[in-house]
Amino acid sequence: MFETLLDAFLFRAGYNAALVTVGTTLLGIAAGSTGTFIFLRKRALISDAVAHATLPGVGIAFMVLVALGGDGRNLPALLAGSALSAWLGLLAVQWISRRTRLAEDAAIGAVLSVFFGGGIVLLTVIQTMTTGRRAGLEEFLLGATAGMLFHDAVFIAAAGLLVLTLVIALRRAMTLVAFDPGFATSVGISVARTDLAMMALTMAVTVVGLKLVGLILIVAMLIIPPVAARFWSDSTNSVVWIAGLIGGTSGFLGAALSASAPDLPTGPIIVLVCFALFAVSITFAPQRGLFAAMLRYRAFHRHVHRRQGLLALARGEEILDPVTVSVLRKAGLVRRDGVATEAGRAQAARILRDERRWDIARQIHRDEAVINRQDILRPIEDVLTRDEIAEIDRRIGPPEAVPS
Amino acid sequence: MTMAENTALELVAANGRPVRHTDLADAPLAVRELTVSYGQKPAVFSLDATFAPGRLAAIVGPNGAGKSTFLKAALGMVPKLSGQVIVFGQPLAAARHRIAYVPQRASVDWDFPTRVIDVVLMGMYRQLGLLRRVSAKQRDAALACLARVGMEDFSDRQIGQLSGGQQQRVFLARALAQDADLYLLDEPFAGVDAATERAIIDVLKAIRDEGRTVVCVHHDLTTVAQYFDDVLLLNVHKIAEGPVEDVFTAENLQKTYGGRLAAVHIDQLRLDPQ
Amino acid sequence: MSTGRPDRKSRTAAFWRRACTALAAAVFAVTAQLPVTSAQAGPAKLHVVATTSMIADAARQVGGEEVRVRELMGPGIDPHAYRQTRTDIAAMTRADLVLWHGLYLEAQLEEFMHKLAQRRSVVAVAESLPKDRLLRHDDYANQYDPHVWMDPQMWTGVVAAVRDALIAARPNARATFEANAARHIAEVEALAAYAADTLRSVPEQTRYLVTAHDAFNYFGRAYGFEVIGIQGISTESEAGLNRIAELVSLLVEKNVGAVFVESSVSDRNVRALIEGAAARGHKVSIGGELFSDAMGADGTYEGSYVGMLDHNVTTITHALGGTAPARGMNSRLSAGS
Repeated sequence: MFETLLDAFLFRAGYNAALVTVGTTLLGIAAGSTGTFIFLRKRALISDAVAHATLPGVGIAFMVLVALGGDGRNLPALLAGSALSAWLGLLAVQWISRRTRLAEDAAIGAVLSVFFGGGIVLLTVIQTMTTGRRAGLEEFLLGATAGMLFHDAVFIAAAGLLVLTLVIALRRAMTLVAFDPGFATSVGISVARTDLAMMALTMAVTVVGLKLVGLILIVAMLIIPPVAARFWSDSTNSVVWIAGLIGGTSGFLGAALSASAPDLPTGPIIVLVCFALFAVSITFAPQRGLFAAMLRYRAFHRHVHRRQGLLALARGEEILDPVTVSVLRKAGLVRRDGVATEAGRAQAARILRDERRWDIARQIHRDEAVINRQDILRPIEDVLTRDEIAEIDRRIGPPEAVPS
Repeated sequence: MTMAENTALELVAANGRPVRHTDLADAPLAVRELTVSYGQKPAVFSLDATFAPGRLAAIVGPNGAGKSTFLKAALGMVPKLSGQVIVFGQPLAAARHRIAYVPQRASVDWDFPTRVIDVVLMGMYRQLGLLRRVSAKQRDAALACLARVGMEDFSDRQIGQLSGGQQQRVFLARALAQDADLYLLDEPFAGVDAATERAIIDVLKAIRDEGRTVVCVHHDLTTVAQYFDDVLLLNVHKIAEGPVEDVFTAENLQKTYGGRLAAVHIDQLRLDPQ
Repeated sequence: MSTGRPDRKSRTAAFWRRACTALAAAVFAVTAQLPVTSAQAGPAKLHVVATTSMIADAARQVGGEEVRVRELMGPGIDPHAYRQTRTDIAAMTRADLVLWHGLYLEAQLEEFMHKLAQRRSVVAVAESLPKDRLLRHDDYANQYDPHVWMDPQMWTGVVAAVRDALIAARPNARATFEANAARHIAEVEALAAYAADTLRSVPEQTRYLVTAHDAFNYFGRAYGFEVIGIQGISTESEAGLNRIAELVSLLVEKNVGAVFVESSVSDRNVRALIEGAAARGHKVSIGGELFSDAMGADGTYEGSYVGMLDHNVTTITHALGGTAPARGMNSRLSAGS
């Protein structure tokens, strides 16, 4: 089984699998990058409403095609119908939240359920239609990659590249509007038009992803990558391309995995891989991850106790906190009975001097910038220059030893 | 307090001298009969105001007086019900590139993935447009703006890691990066520490000395005379406008704040400019 | 509180109350005139509702003039996925007899049918077949493959079950039903003979029947074909990518030249299979469209059970290199089969 997995990764699992993998990878990159801006603009839930609102459009497009004499299988027409009803869904959300007293999340919930329910009703009606080949419309719900054809892959590639190009072109405007719409307006960016472009890109990604992962899951491809990427960077541009990378990797790995074993549906597997990448990000990302935060906290905790303990030693005070004693003991600075060791006394003297220097520094330098660089973790030698320290030392006198 | 009795106020000078009028074409910012309302409630009503070039001006008034609304309407951020906004003698759309705006601090999401330097570079949007890459020269210019507000060492920090005063300085640096002729600031000194307040007012005075115009919505009456050249007293309607020494009088302040300001406080405000 | 003439608000409310009452009365009056059932003048026919069109066809053949048959699933409808609508429920609760297939063919209707059986006459016609003649389901231990109509011999058993159900519903027409059933069973047996003869002409090495889903196992058993469906026995199962790769290899290895699409199932998987084989240099074409879970259009020859199987047998034979009459058993197939 491992060999089939490897084959899948290397595009050797067959033409169909390769086609699907290329398609899902491109979709993942496009969805991840576009989704970053929706996430930053705090419109994540609207993209879910839009995705669910595609369903009635598919049904109506099918019925129109059959009424015009076809068999209702024209994919571009069905996708056009889905885009149209998704657009109407978006307009409905905006209209409801602007014109009535309902908050935006209520508007989203209403539109999502009404449109989706309407779509299901249409599908039920269509199943009783004797003309037209209805079979296959339910694939839009969860996607169906096994039947992906070459022209589907071409369409996805073209649409994906178009979306990526527009994301790159509009990234600055979208970032500004997401961060500070007031400022954006003041430099002449139209917030309304930028939001419109962003939703249009979302809609394009949704329509492309309908056949691959289905309308129920496409929101996961839009939102999970940027949320995961947020843990790796503080710069918007980096978050965008990392999200694209995570999305593309999920698409690639998910498709390869589903091709390597029987009975694995591609869409859901891709979403699960994406979630796994998110779980890795939240746990292991340096600086922002849970693990890193935990390590940092424990180091800080130890440092605080160490400093307090040493200061107490230096001033001849009794150390009351057992945790402090334990920290000092593990560092070899006190003996088991609580008496300071040689090393402990030396360290205590240093810390006492550092504390005294900071006292003076705070008086001399009212400048906030310097004070901000002082925190318990930094000795003063790292912050001030040698002559500044010399000046301070002049005022406090020579270093003192700590009595045993 | 009813506003009816204030609708017919003239520009009043304490010592009887008429207040200087500025020609509209020179004025960096002028509004005529500006009315802005939220729903049915007027926030600013039939306001006529003119700001003189190269001066540091304050907009002062009680809470809810329409001060922030006035700025936002001047920038087209909220729709106006009636009236005109004239910027350097032209409509707003034509002269927008000459204005820089520093909003109130609370309106920004501090968890946003952006660093201090990125925020300042946003101010260079006009030069960069949608697509141009940030050049080394522009990066240096951004760092210079940060240096002017004392924040050059913080350029790579994410904005959520800054204190309130530091955040305010970063937004001022962004405005500096816009290299504008008119600066509009909404309560720049609200909730900042003393050191930051000093740093900000020094920068604002430096900008004014370069010949640019600065207009601030200001909340602290005790520092008006000390910091500003001109003042506009506003409470939905204009109460008075003009140089601080002429307009910032006990009488005008009573009219602006109604009964909310005790006479004894007004005496304490009459400080000589430093 | 004001006295005298009621104020504007309560006058408006009173108006709306009266309007709604009048409207409700009008609706009630109109609908009360509508007949509950569309009974006709003359001897009352037995109202039968059948789920699949194959069962409906059998009911019409056996019932003749005595019955009015209505089917829920027309041409092109997939019974595995079909969910009943309100109209369906209304029709079934008013019918004299409800015939359904059973064996989990109409998977979404199972629960409803069992509940309905407590109140009306409901017969699962395929469940009366002897279990030792049924094929077991690939994936589920206690289930059977329901596609029994693919083997005409098996279908004669179903026709007999339909006859028995009709007799139970209308005992005084027993003679008619028995005569009709006997005639129809003879037709079906003639069909079985034709199928056996024709399909024998298909060479051994090309006896691979590749279709969109696993509907043809009984056919394969009866006539010696290896049957491969891209999807499983139910169309609700999704074909994975892995399955497509597996089947592409099979097509290439066994040098299969033709695969088949089905009228009630999406053809995308089949087309993907063809593209996959083409990528490995092996040309596969679509041998034709088969009727798997639904019959052809109403009013056509293919819209009857005999026509449906005739079409399937003839199409398969032509596509896989056997010899068969161009227009099928009775020369009634539409041109281009």
